Amino acid sequence: MIRIKIVLLIILVIILTISGFQLYHHRHYQIPIVAGPGVTRVLKLSHYLPSLKGSMADTWVFFLEGQEPGGKVLILGNTHANEPEGLLTALVIIENGQVEKGTVIIIPQFNHSASRFTRPGDGYPLFFEIPTSWGKKKFRMGNREASPLDQWPDPDVYIHYPERQLLSFLDARNVNRTWPGRPNGLPMEQVTFAAMELIRQERVDLVIDIHGAETMFPVTNCIVAPEKSAKLATMVSLTVKAMEKFDNHVEPSPPKFRGLSHREIGDYSEAMPFLLEAPIPFLDQPTGPKTERLLLDGRDPFLLRLARKKKLFVPYDETGWPMDKRVGQHLSVTLELLKQYSRRTPDRAIVIHNVPRYAEVVEHGVGYYFVNPSTVSPDKIYFN
Amino acid sequence: MISQIVVILIVMIVAYLIGQWRHFSVELSLFFAALFGAIAGAFFSTPHWSEIFRHLVEGSFTYLDIILVFSTATIFMTILRESGGIDYIVHSSMKALSKIRPLALLVLMIIVLIPGALTGAGSVSLLVVGAPVAAALRHLGISRPRTAAILFILAGLSAAAPPVNIWAMVLCAGTAIPYVGFELPLGLPVILLGTFTIFTLGWKREKNGPDEVTLAKVEAFLGMSWWRVVLPFIVLFGLILAYRLWPFKMPVLGLPLEFFLVSIIAWLTSPKKLPFFPISRETMARLLPLIATMVVIGMLQQIMTATGVRGLLSYLVISIPIIVLFILLAVIIPVSEGILTYGAAAILGIPLIWYLDSLGYHATVAISGLSLLWPLGDGLPPTALIGRLSVMVSNFEGSYWSFLRRTWLPWIVITIVGVLMVVFSHKLSFLVRWSVG
Amino acid sequence: MFKIIMAFYYLITAFIAALIFWNFWLEKKKVDRLILYLLVLIPMILRLLRIK
Repeated sequence: MIRIKIVLLIILVIILTISGFQLYHHRHYQIPIVAGPGVTRVLKLSHYLPSLKGSMADTWVFFLEGQEPGGKVLILGNTHANEPEGLLTALVIIENGQVEKGTVIIIPQFNHSASRFTRPGDGYPLFFEIPTSWGKKKFRMGNREASPLDQWPDPDVYIHYPERQLLSFLDARNVNRTWPGRPNGLPMEQVTFAAMELIRQERVDLVIDIHGAETMFPVTNCIVAPEKSAKLATMVSLTVKAMEKFDNHVEPSPPKFRGLSHREIGDYSEAMPFLLEAPIPFLDQPTGPKTERLLLDGRDPFLLRLARKKKLFVPYDETGWPMDKRVGQHLSVTLELLKQYSRRTPDRAIVIHNVPRYAEVVEHGVGYYFVNPSTVSPDKIYFN
Repeated sequence: MISQIVVILIVMIVAYLIGQWRHFSVELSLFFAALFGAIAGAFFSTPHWSEIFRHLVEGSFTYLDIILVFSTATIFMTILRESGGIDYIVHSSMKALSKIRPLALLVLMIIVLIPGALTGAGSVSLLVVGAPVAAALRHLGISRPRTAAILFILAGLSAAAPPVNIWAMVLCAGTAIPYVGFELPLGLPVILLGTFTIFTLGWKREKNGPDEVTLAKVEAFLGMSWWRVVLPFIVLFGLILAYRLWPFKMPVLGLPLEFFLVSIIAWLTSPKKLPFFPISRETMARLLPLIATMVVIGMLQQIMTATGVRGLLSYLVISIPIIVLFILLAVIIPVSEGILTYGAAAILGIPLIWYLDSLGYHATVAISGLSLLWPLGDGLPPTALIGRLSVMVSNFEGSYWSFLRRTWLPWIVITIVGVLMVVFSHKLSFLVRWSVG
Repeated sequence: MFKIIMAFYYLITAFIAALIFWNFWLEKKKVDRLILYLLVLIPMILRLLRIK
C-alpha cells in the first residue's frame, strides 16, 4: 500500500507542477503597453485611493492631455477582463491617439485582478494573440470577476453599497456591480470608489465603459445610457448607422438595477456615463469549444444554426463577429460620442486625432495599430 | 465540428459507463469521463495536449468554496452531536411540542427552511439542523426513509426560498436581470409546497419505537444544558443576520469561517472533553464522496466547456420547440442538476431564460418556477448531493432508491407548480410587483 | 480587516488539507479512496501556494 501511495503522490506532484507552472505563468505574465505620442502623464489608480497601492487591484491610468483646455473623458477597458475588446480598444487609443483639446483619461485594465484569472469551469484559453506587422502581441485572457487570490471569501450574498440591493455572491468581485464603491469596503468596492474619486476630482464630463455581450443577450450591440446620457447616445447611434453602416442601438439603463457603471456614475457624479456593448460569441453558452480562435473570429456552428432559427439578438452569418469588427465599432462610437459632445458643449470640447474608425480597423486589423515595444525607449513601456 | 463534439461526448459517456461496470465509485467514474473526454478532445486540439492537466486542475477549483462550507459545517455538526447537544435539543423540544402534531410538524419545517433560505444552500440546512430534525421526526413516529424524504424535499425548498436563491442569482447575474422581486414568487410556493410535503409525508405515525431510545441517550449526558447547545447557533445565525442588517459595518466573514468559529465554540462549551482533531479527521473521511464529487464535477464542467460538449447540450435544449420544452422541463432541469449541480443553471438556465424572455415570458417568475425544479435534481445520481446528505443525517441505511421513491408525491406536485409558473409567468407577474411594493 | 479574514481562509484550507492528507496516509484498503483524497487536495494545495 505504501508503494501505491508513493506512486500516486508522485503523479499528483507531476500534475501540480505542470498545471501550476501554466497557471502561475498566466497570473504573472506582463503585457507591455506603449505610451504613445499623445500620453502626457501616467498614474496608478491608487493615486486616488492610497489603500489600493501595492495590491493586484491597482492599475495604470493614462492621461492624454491637449494643448487647449476643454472637457474630459474617462475610458474604461476590461471592466470585465473576459471581454477583451475593451482592452484592445483602450490600447489603440493609448498607443496612437493625440489630443488637441481637452483630456482623454484611459484605464485599459480596470479590473486588473480579473485580468490575471480565468474562471474555473469555463474552460477558457489562458492567452490569446493578435497578429501585427512585427509579430504576434500576446495578451492574458481574463475573467468577469476578480481573482479570489485578491478578494476572498465571497459573502453568501452581495449587498450593494449604498442601495442595499441583493446581488449574486459573485458580484462582490465584479466591478460592474460595485459602483459607486466605498473607501473601506471590499477591494473591488475600493476600485470603483477610486474611479469615482478620479471622476470627481478631475471633473470628468463623460465616462465610456467598454464591454462585450453575448449574441443571445438582448442587451448587446448597443449603447446603454441613463436618462441624462440618452440624447447624446441616440445622436451617436443614428450617426454611426448613417455614416458607417453599423447598428448600435440605445438601451435605457434600468433605474432599479444597481451597481452598474451606467447607473451609478450618473447618479453619484456630474459625469454622463455610457456603456458600450459589442457582440462576443465566445461568451455565449451554446457554442463549440472555447478556443482562442472562437474568441478572435466569433465564428460558431451552433450560433449559426440558432441565428437561422432567429434566436440571436444580432445579425449573424458565416463571417461570425471578428475582433476587428468589435474593436472598430467601439472606436467609432467612442470618437462619435466625443464629437457630438464637443459640438453641443464647445467650451468643454474634447478633440482627439490619429485614432482609427470602424472601416479602417476592419480593413487593416486591430494589430496594425499596436506599436512594437522593442522599437521604443523603455521609459515609454508600462507593464500591466 | 459538431460531429467531433458528438464523438467526444460519446467517449465521455463510455468512460463513465466502463467505470461503473468495473465497480469504481461514481466520483471516480465521473473523473474518468472528464479525463478521457479531455484526451478525446486533444485529438482535435480542443483542448491542446499540453493543456489537459491545466483544464482538469482549473476545473477542480469550481466548487472550492462550497467544499469549504461543507467541510466546516459538518465538523461543527459532528462536534455538536458528539457533545450530546443534538439529542438534548430533540428531547426537550419534542417534549413540549409532540402533543400537537401539526404544530410540531410546521415548526420542524420552518427550522429546516431557515438556514437554507439564509444561505441559499440546502446542504447547510441539512448540515446544521438535519440531524436534530431527523431525530425529532423519528420521535414523532416517522420512519427513517420517510424522514430522509421529508428532509430532502424541505432542504431543496429551503435552497429555493428567498432571500438567497443561488440558482436565481446565477441566472440573474448571467442575464443581467436584477435580483429583485423574488420574495413572493419564491416565498409563497416554498411555504405552500413545504407545508404540503411535511403534512403528506409526516401526517401518519408509523411506529413508536425511537422515543425511548432518544430519551435514554439524553440521560447519558447530564452536563448538557440549553445554553451550551444554543450558544453556537446564536453566534452562527447572529453572524449571518448581522451582515444582512449592517452590511456596511460588518466585515464579510463567509460561511466557512462562520462555521469554523462556531465549531470551536461548540467544542469549548461541550460538557465532555472532545478530541477536536480526530473528530475533524473522521468527519472529513465521511465527507470524502461528497467533496470529491464537487471537485470532479468542476473538472467535468471545465472539460465539457473546453471540448464544446457543454455548448452542444445547451444548444439542444434551446432548440426544442416551446411546447415540447415546457413538458421536458420536468425532466431536463432536475437531470441537469443531478449531473452538473449549480453549473446546470449557467449552462442551460441562462440561454433558456433569454429565450423565454424574448418570447415575452416574465423572466423573474420564470426563474422562480425553474428554481423549484432545480433542487429536485439534487436527489438524482450521479451527484445526488442533497439526497445523499439527507440519507446521511437521517441515518437511513436502506437502498437509495427506497428513500427516493418516497418523495414521489411532493416531487410531482412541485414539478407541476414549477412548470406552470414558467408557462403562466406573465399572469403571475403581480407577485413580482407586490414583492417590490 | 479583509486581509485578516483572508488569512483565516488560508488557515482553514490548510487545516482541511492536512486532515485529508492524514486520511490519505491512514487509508489501508481502498485505492479508489486514495485517488479521491488526492483529487480533493489539488485545488487546496494550489490555493495555499497562491497559484490559483
